[in-house]
Amino acid sequence: MEMLRVEHIVKQYAGHRALDDISITTRKGEIFGLLGPNGAGKTSLIRIINQITGPDSGKVFLEGREIRRDDIAHIGYLPEERGLYKKMKVREQALYFARLKGLSKSEAKKRLEYWFERFDITSWYDKKVEELSKGMAQKIQFIITVLHQPKLLILDEPFSGFDPINADLMRKEILQLKEAGTSIMLSTHNMTSVEEICDSIALIDKAKLVLNGSLKDVKAQYRTHTYAVQFKGMMFGFANALWADYALSHSYQLDAERAVAHVKLLKGNTLNNLLSQVMPVVEIEAINEIMPTMNDIFIRAVQGEKGGQGE
Amino acid sequence: MSKIGLIIAREYTTRVKKRAFIVLTILVPLLVVGLMFLAIWLSLEEKKHINVLVADPRNLCGEQIFVGADEKNPPATFYFYAGDLEKAEFLQRQDMDKYDVLIGLGPNVITNKKIGGYYREEPSADAKDYIQDKLELRLEEYFAMDKGISLEEYRSIRQRMDFELESFDNSEEKEIRDKAQMIGLVFSVFIFIFITVYAAQVMRGVIEEKTSRVVEIIVSSVKPFELMMGKIIAVGLVGLTQFLIWVTLIVVLVIGLQTFVFKDILTPENWQGINDQAVAINQISTGMETADMQSMWAKVLFHYVNWPLLTIMFLIYFIGGYLLYGSLFAMIGSAVDSETDTQQLMLPVMLPLMFTYVVSVMIQGNSDGATAVWLSHIPFSSPIIMLQRIAAGSVAPWELILSLVILTITFITTTYLAAKIYRVGILMYGKKSTWKELFKWMRQA
Repeated sequence: MEMLRVEHIVKQYAGHRALDDISITTRKGEIFGLLGPNGAGKTSLIRIINQITGPDSGKVFLEGREIRRDDIAHIGYLPEERGLYKKMKVREQALYFARLKGLSKSEAKKRLEYWFERFDITSWYDKKVEELSKGMAQKIQFIITVLHQPKLLILDEPFSGFDPINADLMRKEILQLKEAGTSIMLSTHNMTSVEEICDSIALIDKAKLVLNGSLKDVKAQYRTHTYAVQFKGMMFGFANALWADYALSHSYQLDAERAVAHVKLLKGNTLNNLLSQVMPVVEIEAINEIMPTMNDIFIRAVQGEKGGQGE
Repeated sequence: MSKIGLIIAREYTTRVKKRAFIVLTILVPLLVVGLMFLAIWLSLEEKKHINVLVADPRNLCGEQIFVGADEKNPPATFYFYAGDLEKAEFLQRQDMDKYDVLIGLGPNVITNKKIGGYYREEPSADAKDYIQDKLELRLEEYFAMDKGISLEEYRSIRQRMDFELESFDNSEEKEIRDKAQMIGLVFSVFIFIFITVYAAQVMRGVIEEKTSRVVEIIVSSVKPFELMMGKIIAVGLVGLTQFLIWVTLIVVLVIGLQTFVFKDILTPENWQGINDQAVAINQISTGMETADMQSMWAKVLFHYVNWPLLTIMFLIYFIGGYLLYGSLFAMIGSAVDSETDTQQLMLPVMLPLMFTYVVSVMIQGNSDGATAVWLSHIPFSSPIIMLQRIAAGSVAPWELILSLVILTITFITTTYLAAKIYRVGILMYGKKSTWKELFKWMRQA
């Protein structure tokens, strides 16, 4: 089931194009990572989905039908640039934002109590935001974002500004929301967290969509067919056994007799071919495919390299 | 509650609860009423009656001073002492206690034309002039008779010319009109202050939301236009609230003080006495339609000025002018990152306002001149100028309607354009904007 679909979005600002024909689809209940270097156009896209600005052309669909003004009640948005009224008390402020999203006062109060008890921060109710630390304000901001139980949650750099303990807490909360059926769009530079929690990703670079798909597919697309082969025997003999159809990218001794070699298959070779080449010379102990990290993929995609075989 | 209603409620309550608002709202009426009573008290002090003792050994005055029949309340009464009276003796003698001023007509009077004297407490400038005037006149009569001119002859020569310059058009009506226009000026000043103070508050509010980045969260729930209008309306309501509290408090204080504390001070006669000094204060006084209030001011205040029309138009022009300038200030606020960056953008907006303010003083006494007529139709100045013309009663109904229609069209237009710039501006961080860029945003949005 699709949650959000943007089709052929184009957004032009004076002098430059922020989004160039972007089309993305996210599924219900998944965590979708929106990636890209600074200035790639992520925030522009998020603002269009939030109907803060309009696209020059292209359409946005929510749950299969074109998005309407009152759909913003079903979207929760945590902007990268966090902000609250400094002089306003925490409770008042949270209630105000919840009511702007269409909640009744009593309903907003009830849910606020739930979240404050969950985070164990009920003592903050009557504090002004300026009295809170940055991390504390971040928590309030997160609660404000999810208080109206949005179907679609858009989180821009949700982990920035948190210490590792609180970042972990956030991660758990996000996964919990996913369990509860919330669809989440996550924009972040933190590739580790992308690998940990994202189901699908899209990568935007210089206003264009560069990569899109499930995390598994993207990773498969960026496979380099490199294997880490652990063996007992002479590294010299191992290297000699390889012909020009293999590339030995990296190797190291584990101890006096055992070593690990990273071998990349070239020219349509299979793992079986590799094994048949080296088995006569050394004794294979283990073999693993080295999968690209999201970090590698990000850098390669942005720097314009193409992954895959035949390189 | 609708979203714009929620915004108005928040903006309104946070401002009204601020300490500065509460203090100012209470302090200003206290100050106004305090100053008002001070003015009355001072004017009463000034009118204290003075007894003048003239030591006249040569009997130059013949023990009398000429007092005109039309002088009802002369500031001084003259008494005579046939002989020289030294300063020390005057101070010592108990029967002299009732005299406030001692004047000696010594031999110098005739040779050097010099008169001197002493006072216990310095008389007001008015009283001094009066004393000098009367004594001079009496002595001139003595000199005239000395030269062989009879008293009757001298008095007929000395009688003052009745000199009066009149305007070519009906003079009394014009004078009343000019005085009424001055009442309009009070409203002009009020509108000017309210517009500048509250429009600047709108700007500050916009800048605060922008710099704290809270704006991005709000516009993910409401339209930028709703946010801008909510803020403008709320701040305008704060202004009206303050105005209402001021008027109520002043009226209550005046009536309270009049009834319980200063029973004798606020009599109609006293009011009339300070009419010329305290025009503005007069407007709020009540129950004064006594028969002897026939001064020009009384006529203006109680018969000439159309108060209901003036009050209603004051509110309408305040709202119109405030919406016009408020939207422009909101626009400026959206284009900058801090208040210090506003200077350059503010100038073109403040300039017409300042200009109008200066002109509003200059057109006193000329409420139907070309300047006043033109500026009362130009929307950037009409809220300030038109009230003077309404007070002066020199506005035709069609002029008023035309002026209001132009003002309405203009503030709708500026609000529309400001909203376009606003929605781009509030999401534009870290840029010092120029007017050129603002126009670019206007086209883009």
